[in-house]
Amino acid sequence: MGADSIPRCSIPSNDMPPFRGPDAVDISLTVNGQGATAHLRPQRSLLELLRGPLGLTGTKLVCNAGNCGACTVLVDDRPVYSCITLAVACEGKRVETIEGLSKDGELHPVQEAFIDHDAYQCGFCTPGQVMSIVALLRTKGKPTEDDMRRAVTGNLCRCGAYVNIVKAGMSAARRATK
Amino acid sequence: MAGLRVVKSRDEFEGEIFESLAIIQGSDLPPHAAGAEFEEIGKARKRIDGVQRVTGRATYTQDVVLPGMLHARVLRSPYPRARVRAIDSKKAEALPGVRGVLHRFNSPKAAFRGEETIFRDEVRFIGDEVAAVAADDVETAVRALGLIEVEYELLPHVTDLEEAITDEAPRLEDGGNVFDAGSLKRGEARQAFKDADAVVEGTYRTSTQLHNSLESHGAVAQWDGQILTVWESTQHVFGVREGLRAALLLPLSQIRVICDYMGGGFGSKGGVGKYSIIAALFAKQLSRPVRCVLTRHEENLAAGNRSATLQKIKIAAKDGRITAIDHTSWSNAGQGRWVANPTGPTNTLYDFANLTTKSYRVVTNAGSLSAFRAPGYVEGTFALESAIDELAERVGVDPLTLRRRHAASQTDPRTTKTYSLKRLLECYSIGAREIGWSKRRAGGTRGSAPHRRRGIGMGTQIWGGGGGPPAYATVHFNSDGTVILRAGTQDIGTGTRTVLAQICAEELGVDLDRISVRIGDTEGPYGPISAGSLTLASVGPAVRLAARDAREQFLGAAAGVLEVPRTELRMERGHIVSKGARTPISEVSKKLENNTVIGKGSRWPNPESLAIKTFGAHFAQVEVDTLTGEIFVEKVVAVHDIGRIVNPMTAASQVQGGVIQALGFALSEERVVDRSLGRVMNADLEWYKIPTVLDVPEIVVRFTDRPDRRANNLGAKGLGEPPIIPTAAAVANAVANATGVRLRHAPMTPARVLEALAVIQ
Amino acid sequence: MSLFSYAKPRALGEALRLLKNGTIAIAGGTDLVGLIRSGLAKPDGLVDLTGIEGLRGWTREKGKGLRIGALTPLSDLETSPQLRKLAPMIAESLRDAATPQLRNMGTVGGNLLQRNRCWYFRDEAVPCWLKGGTRCFAVEGENRYHAILGAAECVMVAPSDLAPALIAYDAEIEIASSIGRRTVKLGQFYITPSGRQRKEHAIKAGELITSVRIADSALERRGAFLKAMDRKAWSFALVSVAASAKIQGGKAHDVRIVLGGVAPCPWWVPAANKQLEGSVLDDNACLAAADAILADAQPLRDNGYKVTLARELIRRALRSLVA
Repeated sequence: MGADSIPRCSIPSNDMPPFRGPDAVDISLTVNGQGATAHLRPQRSLLELLRGPLGLTGTKLVCNAGNCGACTVLVDDRPVYSCITLAVACEGKRVETIEGLSKDGELHPVQEAFIDHDAYQCGFCTPGQVMSIVALLRTKGKPTEDDMRRAVTGNLCRCGAYVNIVKAGMSAARRATK
Repeated sequence: MAGLRVVKSRDEFEGEIFESLAIIQGSDLPPHAAGAEFEEIGKARKRIDGVQRVTGRATYTQDVVLPGMLHARVLRSPYPRARVRAIDSKKAEALPGVRGVLHRFNSPKAAFRGEETIFRDEVRFIGDEVAAVAADDVETAVRALGLIEVEYELLPHVTDLEEAITDEAPRLEDGGNVFDAGSLKRGEARQAFKDADAVVEGTYRTSTQLHNSLESHGAVAQWDGQILTVWESTQHVFGVREGLRAALLLPLSQIRVICDYMGGGFGSKGGVGKYSIIAALFAKQLSRPVRCVLTRHEENLAAGNRSATLQKIKIAAKDGRITAIDHTSWSNAGQGRWVANPTGPTNTLYDFANLTTKSYRVVTNAGSLSAFRAPGYVEGTFALESAIDELAERVGVDPLTLRRRHAASQTDPRTTKTYSLKRLLECYSIGAREIGWSKRRAGGTRGSAPHRRRGIGMGTQIWGGGGGPPAYATVHFNSDGTVILRAGTQDIGTGTRTVLAQICAEELGVDLDRISVRIGDTEGPYGPISAGSLTLASVGPAVRLAARDAREQFLGAAAGVLEVPRTELRMERGHIVSKGARTPISEVSKKLENNTVIGKGSRWPNPESLAIKTFGAHFAQVEVDTLTGEIFVEKVVAVHDIGRIVNPMTAASQVQGGVIQALGFALSEERVVDRSLGRVMNADLEWYKIPTVLDVPEIVVRFTDRPDRRANNLGAKGLGEPPIIPTAAAVANAVANATGVRLRHAPMTPARVLEALAVIQ
Repeated sequence: MSLFSYAKPRALGEALRLLKNGTIAIAGGTDLVGLIRSGLAKPDGLVDLTGIEGLRGWTREKGKGLRIGALTPLSDLETSPQLRKLAPMIAESLRDAATPQLRNMGTVGGNLLQRNRCWYFRDEAVPCWLKGGTRCFAVEGENRYHAILGAAECVMVAPSDLAPALIAYDAEIEIASSIGRRTVKLGQFYITPSGRQRKEHAIKAGELITSVRIADSALERRGAFLKAMDRKAWSFALVSVAASAKIQGGKAHDVRIVLGGVAPCPWWVPAANKQLEGSVLDDNACLAAADAILADAQPLRDNGYKVTLARELIRRALRSLVA
């Protein structure tokens, strides 16, 4: 894996774009602000790309079916389930994972708030919960509690940390708007 | 070593009393003095491993990647019951990238839970292990599974509890399908029923609940020719080590089990799994690291469950008091060799004279049960506490008043021992105040819309949680004054690392951030399973002793370094304090260089003459839409009597989580099995419905927070299980209060509510 | 999982040319990826539509009505205040549909074309009728979530929440292929699987939904969408009801009641709609219409509750039109 971005081949508009694959194809995308390239089959999920070749194991695999939210990452600012997103479909897109949130050793306000409010137990759903809330706060500076709850309806927590997750999210929102 | 003694201890685990040996040395610490002021204990502290959890840097078993690692996948029986006649794995073995195949005709014997091999001759449920493949990647392993040819001889099966107990069901074992799993008799129930003013009978059902820990069961095994190292998502590293020893017949000294972070443990991760043995067998055979991690689907077939139950309760009253209970329970154990006892709460919770209880284990062609957070007690309390409300209504007594009459006793009715501490009545008072019990009306009240009714109900819990030996800890002072605490436990998400650090910091007199906690590794001192609500009460007192030992030794050394008499020194806020002088610990430790101070502590036995229990009560307020059958839980008040609270923040999290998981059991979670196919239809997180954030009501958490000074030197008891126990009953009682209709089957889905309301056309 | 190749055309024409035997169009992939993994779809190639310009977003032009591009993410419709004003049933139906993540990924076209969620159909080991087998396993099996109405050989239920809402607006869909374009009423688009038709809708190989259209007159309707679930979020509907009508002088005209979760396709009964013409939508009228819709209900062993539930949701949805 090279860290440098490979420029995308431009396709002449008159030409039929070719099918690529089924063997491994090259794709390039931006992950946590850095260019990344990979060589994998079109059937591979974004989650497989992140956890495998890119070594970003903070994003968790739970259901592999879009039913739980543990694999939530942001693609072009929107939270999606990386387990059912094809990696090849993320060509040229901007992907953000839990590993990209803290800058220069400083935690993101949502991460801080999770610690302050004990918004986790086993921690396995935490990266996904955090990403969903980060996405909400980018589009809505002053969310209501209902907005906050609805932002994490797609993130299951089996330990039942929901009460504190919502508290942490609201506290991060207040912190961010100060 | 001098001064060692072996003593017997009686400990409670998952509702049963076990006798164990404890090796002890020196003397135990007395409990903290009444009114003692604390720096750390009792303080809300953020988790010391919080940064790892929120940054994705916490390493779970799923995240362990080793050079050259192979991926193992398991071929599982597609039939609920069949004999494995022959297996041909030649095609699978020939597939490029496949490194090994194991099945009953080629694999070494590997003992597992009383059976000689992990691959059965007769597979007994859909999901039972038939073969395993290790390959360079997951995809190749999965393809290879499809190439294994198995010849099955199909046999008649039964998966449903109530079908399995009939005479027409196929007999799955020589003894049939139904086995005695315990009974208890007290007084003369038969006579009491005859003499009663009122007798209420009810049949209650609870459905199979699936754990669905978000991190599935799994292991990564590595064999270096001498040491087998296994990373496993487990609640008991030492249990896994013992299971691997029994399966692989390796000396314990050659097995190391590690569990750094783990993604949820609700009882089913109590010991070695077949996946761990498969990973280990392959690792040894192939001399490559091997990962075997279950998929969500496999997780829901073969990694355990809370048994479905059928329970019959007959309960009698005379002169406004309960006089007798007869409680019989059948549990669908699947292929499990034990059963959690739903009559446990009936046997121990209330003080009344006449009792008969019986519990039966029913064998079926379904996945084995395993412990699931207060196994038996969740199911049993739903039935018992529902029945008590039904009786209260029949005799016209307020249900809380009726319970108070039987909850005051300070004697355990089963053993006749005195409780070390019981403040259940106080729980009732706090809960009644917080929920507004005085505003409860027979027949409920109007809800927020014309078709909605509002009601209040409550339920009581009793559980063990006293912990016991053996549990050990060590405390090292490093040369820079930092401290390493080692204990043989694991943090399954409860905050164990943090509370143990708090106990250690308190006893040492150093700041919390000076302490590093190393747990989840069999290279450390022994510690018990993180289950049965016993971690804190078992390991906490040992940590306190280890810290005290380290402190005493360090002060002795400091006396030499500072040339001040030992008796004039004490440790306080990271300093050695003598008359008029405060020296930072690091200054002393620097002078000691690498002469390391190591303190040791072990858990002392429980007091022989006392019964150590936890108590609590939950109160629920619900609204019921009487036309759609939807239940809206508005508020749950959870009050617990569990001794001293070491960290109010993580303790509150435990209670909230228990309530929420209980609401899943009460309202939406239910394994669905097609009986004729024997297939689980919802072995996923789509149709198996665990609560979402929108299913969460307002939750009020209260503790009596009095140290149980007779239980152990910390005065703390367990909290993992108590908050899941009484919620379903509280909700059922609230629904009955709201609607006048009794739901006797959990989960109380809209379909069941509508059925009970008898408005189905 | 079968191997497939992948193409991402930039224009609709290219996409249509690439859609030939063995290839399948993909947009959000929220359903298709699962179908491929469980062997229910075995494409040789995927044609990713998300690079196509011009099929994303919605427009409203007087005289031309509302046009929603098929590639519009569901979340864009759900969160747009203007659209909520214009066609509230759409946002209401999407609010409790799936999750924020799935609404970000999923598109309008994909939602309308999603396959059913029957657990026998989705279980690769069960050779159910819809997959070419000989029988429907749910009829005698576990059928709490299955059809009470309108089923033939297969008792699965139509899963979309959006479809009933759009049908209640009398929406049309525009379908393109390399041969040309056609427009179909969404209400006529779904099929009850029966006989030789072992599928849920009338899309043909090589065709794509390009847009959804709602006429200006339909936007004058009042609408209500209600959904019952067995937990408070992230569940397919036990029963959903979209109801719309033109209300004039307190009376309802041209009422449309469309149900989801009860039949193999979105379900409505023209006679029941007619019965409410000119009605003030009081409780009796609403319940009578509900009874007319449910008169032919044939509940299975475990889904009788759906009849009760549907009756009440129909009443509430209709009542709310005049509230």
